[in-house]
Amino acid sequence: MRAQFPILERVLPNGRPLIYLDNAATSQKPTAVLAAMQEFYVHYNSNVHRAVHTLAGEATDAYEQARVKVSEWFGVPEQGMVLFTSGTTEALNLCAMGWAGVNLDAGDAIVLSEMEHHSNIVPWQMLAEQKNLELRWVSVDTTSFQLDMDEYRELIKGAKLACLIHTSNVLGTRNPVEQLVEIAHAAGARIVLDCAQGAAHERIDMAELGADFLAVTSHKMCGPTGIGALLIAAGVFDEMQPVQGGGDMIVEVTKAGATYQDNEHRFEAGTPQIAEAIGWATAIDWMERVDIGAAHSHTLALARHAAAGIAAIDGMTIYGDHDLDDTSGVVSFLHDALSSEDIAHMLDSMGIAVRTGHHCTQPLMAKLGVSATNRASFYLYNTQDEADALVDALRMIVERFG
Amino acid sequence: MGEWPDALQEIIDEFSEVFDDMERFELLFEWAERIDQIPPEEWSKTTRVVGCQSEAHIRTEFRDSGFHLQGASDSQIVQGLMAITGIALHGLTPREVTGFSPRYVEEMGLMQALSPSRANGFLNMFMKVQDAARAMLG
Repeated sequence: MRAQFPILERVLPNGRPLIYLDNAATSQKPTAVLAAMQEFYVHYNSNVHRAVHTLAGEATDAYEQARVKVSEWFGVPEQGMVLFTSGTTEALNLCAMGWAGVNLDAGDAIVLSEMEHHSNIVPWQMLAEQKNLELRWVSVDTTSFQLDMDEYRELIKGAKLACLIHTSNVLGTRNPVEQLVEIAHAAGARIVLDCAQGAAHERIDMAELGADFLAVTSHKMCGPTGIGALLIAAGVFDEMQPVQGGGDMIVEVTKAGATYQDNEHRFEAGTPQIAEAIGWATAIDWMERVDIGAAHSHTLALARHAAAGIAAIDGMTIYGDHDLDDTSGVVSFLHDALSSEDIAHMLDSMGIAVRTGHHCTQPLMAKLGVSATNRASFYLYNTQDEADALVDALRMIVERFG
Repeated sequence: MGEWPDALQEIIDEFSEVFDDMERFELLFEWAERIDQIPPEEWSKTTRVVGCQSEAHIRTEFRDSGFHLQGASDSQIVQGLMAITGIALHGLTPREVTGFSPRYVEEMGLMQALSPSRANGFLNMFMKVQDAARAMLG
């Protein structure tokens, strides 16, 4: 498997081999994905739609085939749609401005949680300010690192929409999304799930889940950056309004006004991310050949092993419950005397790439009572040796500097 | 090689003799302890260095003896760099501070500290110092 990711063989300028443990920020890309994107630019680069020449036809086919691939992979239900975006953030913004902005009125309530990434907070805050909406926050328990489901059941009453994270990018907690959807629908609310992290670790079936919107991204599941999608359930399309105008999304434009396409293109103004869509579809092909369940068990075992090793180091606190079977590959930790930035610099000097900071989750950091954590995040190509190297490096750092 | 003040050149020499990155970090930790530290209760929006991953604060003043820098950070690496910057600029006139090159960190083997993609906290800190010196010039 690792041979398909040449970057993992990289030796850093200081002579240290790379140990890449920042997968929750972005995964590496297999050669198949790189080759498919190069193939597009080398052989059939052309803009999509509205042209009769051969290259445009090939590019359009590949782009629209990518949409079909994404739709199939995520089990988008019949009459549902894949609206390509630049990533999860744009998908959530499209949901906020294109659906909630049209269908919610002053005084309506939206339910968020303290576990959300800023990309599933700020668009709703912007909308709430514009439309005078109420934002309700489901608590995270700081011992179990789980959402307070009883509180969710209360807060969803009378709310119009729940906007919740599938899997936390900090804690690794995989929320009970099936229940979250069921409870929202029972209360008459719609639900959007931020699946940026979750989609990298499990195959999410939208039809089975029954969610109204899923926000997904390519680059955390071995695809390129710059593309993601808002997946919408049947019937949602007609309730949405485009938030960007421009080429490709119209039927006709006159000086008096414009009429819009009645398909996905209505929400994809301008030249889309063609190579990226092709790359993403190839990543999905690649993921189809991997046993994603076994791959996740491997990732989880590494995270659990690392978490146990780190927890045994003097002064270290782990934020997340790695005894659970449905966490992701992230291990957040903090030392009581060494700053997260210092630890990250030292790990980097040993070739180990981890992330440090608030991870775009400042409300969660506030709840945990910290301003930052270090976060090592494992993925399917990482090894036990790499997990051991992280723990050994941290032990050495704490012994020497802690 | 730059033409650095003697006190700074001594520090650069000290860093050039280290065996590896970990020794370099150890030196920075040592320097961090020698800073003229701003107590946490005096940290404010005015002292805060924006763009640093860690909490970082600096305060500058022009005394009879010349330029003086106080600093504090929860990162010992950042605080160590502040302490060394304080020595580098100590006693200079505000005009000299505005013209001072931050490239001494390169000669200390801390190239990464200048990389805009990550520890840009150092450059932000240095620019905040130079902005303060510029303000002193009026």
